[in-house]
Amino acid sequence: MSWHIDRRTFLRGAAGPLLPLPFLNLMNGSAQAAAQTRPPLRFMTLFKPNGVHPPSWNINGGSEFDFRMSPLMQPFAKHKEDLLMLDNMGDFGFSSHANSTRRFLAGHHQNTKSASVDQLIADKIGGDTAIRSLELTTEGLFPNQIGCSYISYDKNGDPIPRESDPQLVFDRLFRHPMRDPNKRAEMTSLLDRVADDAKSLHRKAGVDDRQTLDQYLSVVRETEKRLQNIRATERSGFDVGTLERPLAPANLNEQVESMIDLIALALWTDSTRCVTYMLGNSNSRMVFDFLGIHEQHHYLSHFFRNFSRQNLDALLKISLWHMEKFDYLLTRMKSLTDHNGSLLDHTVVLYGSGMGHSDNHTATRIPIVLAGGKDVLKTGRYVRYAQNQQVGRLHLTLLKHFGVDVNSFAGSSDTLGGLDGSDYEPYRERSFESWVRKRGDKIEVQGRLRLSDDLDEAKVFFVDVDERTSVRVEVSFRDFHDFNLAYHCGTPVTLVGTGTEKGGQLLMTKLTELHSLFGKKPGTQKG
Amino acid sequence: MEIRRTVMPTLTSNRAKSVPFACYRNILATGTMILCASAPLKSIASEFQESIQPILRSHCFSCHGEGDEVHGDVDFTELSSNEQINAAYDTWERVVELIIDGSMPPEDQPKLLDIEKERIQDWFQREFIDAVEAHPGFFRPRRLSAHEYRNTLHSVLGFPLEVTVMKAEQTVSEDSLVMKLLPTDPPGPSGFTNDTSANPLSTTILDQYSYLVDIALDELFSQRYRSSLAAYAGPIASEWLTPEQAELVLVRFAARAFRRHVSPDEVRRSLVALAKKREAELHQALKSELKVILMSPTFIYRGLRMPPGPVNTPLHVDDHELAERLSYFLWADMPDDELLELANAGRLHEPVIFDGQIDRMLESPKARNLAEDFGVQWFSLNEIEHVSNNPPVADALRSQPIDFLYYVFTSDVPLMELIDSETTFINMHTAKYYPGDRKQLVPHKKTRGIEVQSLPNQRIRLRDNPNRGGLLTLPGILAMNRGPVLRGTWILERILGEHLPDPPANVGQVAENKRGENLTFRQRFERHRDNATCAVCHDKIDPLGFALQAYDKEGAYFGQSLKKRKATERELVTMEKPDSSGRLPSGEEFDDFGELKKILITSQRDRVIRNIVRQTMAFALCRRLESHDRSAVDLVATKLTQSNGSFRDLVHEIANSLPFQQTVRRGDETRPVTTRTQRDPS
Repeated sequence: MSWHIDRRTFLRGAAGPLLPLPFLNLMNGSAQAAAQTRPPLRFMTLFKPNGVHPPSWNINGGSEFDFRMSPLMQPFAKHKEDLLMLDNMGDFGFSSHANSTRRFLAGHHQNTKSASVDQLIADKIGGDTAIRSLELTTEGLFPNQIGCSYISYDKNGDPIPRESDPQLVFDRLFRHPMRDPNKRAEMTSLLDRVADDAKSLHRKAGVDDRQTLDQYLSVVRETEKRLQNIRATERSGFDVGTLERPLAPANLNEQVESMIDLIALALWTDSTRCVTYMLGNSNSRMVFDFLGIHEQHHYLSHFFRNFSRQNLDALLKISLWHMEKFDYLLTRMKSLTDHNGSLLDHTVVLYGSGMGHSDNHTATRIPIVLAGGKDVLKTGRYVRYAQNQQVGRLHLTLLKHFGVDVNSFAGSSDTLGGLDGSDYEPYRERSFESWVRKRGDKIEVQGRLRLSDDLDEAKVFFVDVDERTSVRVEVSFRDFHDFNLAYHCGTPVTLVGTGTEKGGQLLMTKLTELHSLFGKKPGTQKG
Repeated sequence: MEIRRTVMPTLTSNRAKSVPFACYRNILATGTMILCASAPLKSIASEFQESIQPILRSHCFSCHGEGDEVHGDVDFTELSSNEQINAAYDTWERVVELIIDGSMPPEDQPKLLDIEKERIQDWFQREFIDAVEAHPGFFRPRRLSAHEYRNTLHSVLGFPLEVTVMKAEQTVSEDSLVMKLLPTDPPGPSGFTNDTSANPLSTTILDQYSYLVDIALDELFSQRYRSSLAAYAGPIASEWLTPEQAELVLVRFAARAFRRHVSPDEVRRSLVALAKKREAELHQALKSELKVILMSPTFIYRGLRMPPGPVNTPLHVDDHELAERLSYFLWADMPDDELLELANAGRLHEPVIFDGQIDRMLESPKARNLAEDFGVQWFSLNEIEHVSNNPPVADALRSQPIDFLYYVFTSDVPLMELIDSETTFINMHTAKYYPGDRKQLVPHKKTRGIEVQSLPNQRIRLRDNPNRGGLLTLPGILAMNRGPVLRGTWILERILGEHLPDPPANVGQVAENKRGENLTFRQRFERHRDNATCAVCHDKIDPLGFALQAYDKEGAYFGQSLKKRKATERELVTMEKPDSSGRLPSGEEFDDFGELKKILITSQRDRVIRNIVRQTMAFALCRRLESHDRSAVDLVATKLTQSNGSFRDLVHEIANSLPFQQTVRRGDETRPVTTRTQRDPS
């Protein structure tokens, strides 16, 4: 008994579907029958609710091939070579939670009469799979602003219902009598039995009872007929009947990991080729009590107006959790062998959100990360466009890669350069000098300010200086607040203050002056 | 339309001869046989054609059948055979009502002579009232509604089947797997969803049952629900049930799922399937057998295993059927252990025990179903969900009438508290409608970072808001019915029990004031419908609806909201002078809604109570009321009117009434049964 449980824990995440032993060697097998030589290309989308905290999310500086992953990206930094980080994507102005979901997959918030990009792709590639597409989420509907609850829209622009329960998704994928021959046999014998039961009642019954029983029997007969008529179209040599149903999740983390496991399995068994998954409604009010946080995510995401040290720490903890789930997805997809590569190699993954700054709701610099799809994407790069790019251009480009015959999408008729290594106009930052001076305990430093990579110490900043060890800035809350350090993250500044040297690194503990090199000025609010 | 007319010569049967089954307590004292196949009788159609149809032809056909458009959904040209005439009981009842009060034919049509009126009335009285003998409804097995299926499965398993979805404030999701997967039930001919007679089993539903049962049984055998399995098996010592325990589970589970005794014979095949199996194999076999039970018609339908008795004879239902009738009426759930034990012992029908059980059941939290299912359907409270997009607010507006109904249904207060009461239920979201009285609320402290939250209601006593007492002026109900027509129609149908036909499709908007005109909305409205045909219904609807003009479209009472409102000038005109006065077709006059309420609980009291009785009885019987139920309704309504009884009294009366206690099995085995042929044309 106990070894059994241990083995399960080993084989699946917390609550995910259990893969039978022979398929543990998936790492060198493939679900696809050998007959099919070209692997299908899949499309998978992971949506992050409530935008981002820009100081910890944005990549600043660096170049296309030589860049530093931001603190929030640390959980999936190990997949750098499989990622294509896009920057300067979005629209000008501000976004509401409710319309940001259209931007994310329908290209523009005003594109309300068209299908979202995943649905157009599903129309093209999903035709001969058991399930054309899966639209998944984690939480209930938010009827107050219904747009917050959906990222996938049908051809009329109407929202597509989503499913949140991993067990139901598993059953739909792998346990339906129409898909599982064992289930079919079971069902047939059950129908025999209940029909016998009905017939024995029939013999004793009065007129009205008999009418009811006849009705029952005719439904049973019809179901039997339907089962007989199925010609199972098994797509792969893989017997889905050997998969074990996921356990009921105990918390959000288990629920999401379980769902991600299922998504990977669904794509890998070619049960479906197109999946969208929302980690939450776009204004998610979920409470992450399993992380020890008791305020709503949406409230915390307004980190500026609801500023407190604890609130910011809580928000970053939640954000990191979202990033860990992206890592979990990538890791899972890489562990499944598909033809001559991994499942990730043959899947275009789109991760991100429909708005940028989670407090002031800017629609510029929204987080967009592409992963995998090595035949269509050139990964391992950071592409920051010179000008703001509408997300519709990205979608149009993806549509073309998937062979969808369109000339424009969401008002964009130009494809987006740079995804497959093609030319694009990169963002050029004005150059600046960096230096550091120390006299007594007085320290002056000029360089790019950034947050610590370790968000557990998010009150720690660094100023990067060329060819020198970065200067560590660890000041009182008063200084942090008065000089608005977080606001200047990513930009070059001159800091004046006092501090010491510690193990070869300068440490500033008190600030007296802050100058922004390019004159960026924070608003009147502190934070 | 389903009218069963069984007007037959009475045969007095020999009592001893007609009690072939011990399981039947007794046959009615009258020993009436109800015969469906008839002795020759003068056809109803021939008299109709001779004396009634000519009147209809000259006065009614032009609008109701022969014109370009059939008015009010009534087509008299379709009524000529025995069958059609019989089935149109409701139509005839309404015809008599309308010609007596003079609203038909409309003013612009030739009037009926008194002798013509009398002839129709007399014909109706003879054919549809005097000739129809009271008898219970015909026995008919009924498929469980989705709601009942959910509760019954929960009771059999000992735990609910739920969907995994994260809960967050202000979001909504369906928690119950059963409700999520089963198709939504349409209301049946009775107007309630528990009448599934027009909602048959389909392959889709069977598929979903199968899927739900698989999940249910996997859960039952999981570690998590060990205690539920142990409730059937006894203490479980190891991972696996012993063969003896498996048999025990099977027999007990079958008895529970079938809601009655199960003979060893009936489960023999299942027991054989378990024989000689051990451990995993045994569990697998047991699960398969339990699935057979939960997929069998006996579980899915109610009443299939009621012991057969003599046909065409009213019989008391047996104790198990009685237990089911009672528990599905009050709880929408199967009988609990106490009821089943009493039924097993054959004692449930004993008056003291039976009445004691009713009281116990009404006190049980499960009786909340009366408000949440019956009340919600009766008063169409689900409409309130559309009033606000903000779930906590919509929830507050909707839970308010539900809590109020639960109070009226279970607190033994006079039925008329439904119309006027000093008790109500509010929370912070509805408090703004109750200035003064809101001080009684115990304040709620919001958690940091939570914006809007659903809150439980608190019971308060109305002191400062006399215009808020009773169901009719709850903000959610006023807001879901915007405008005088919807409000009037709702009161007429839901409170007074009148059935209105759909309005004609070509009614336009109420015209704006023309230049130089300064008519109030009410004046413009009256001009808009100043037409004899419209007046037939609107004379009844409008006085009721306009009586609520002092409440705005959000349900706020003008007196309090005028100051705060940024109203447009035009709105102010109608708001400053809400004309709530009116006169009912029966003659009573009133100045405002408070006075109308008084009329409803005094001179209209009989009518209100009769409607309450009819609605509750149709829900209790899960079927549409027929002409043969009329005397049962009359009896209960009269008693309640005289005693100024409570809803609890009403439940007792209904549960002890003839249609609830008895049934008739139809006997004609050769003829295909259609619901409309009860009498052979001679």
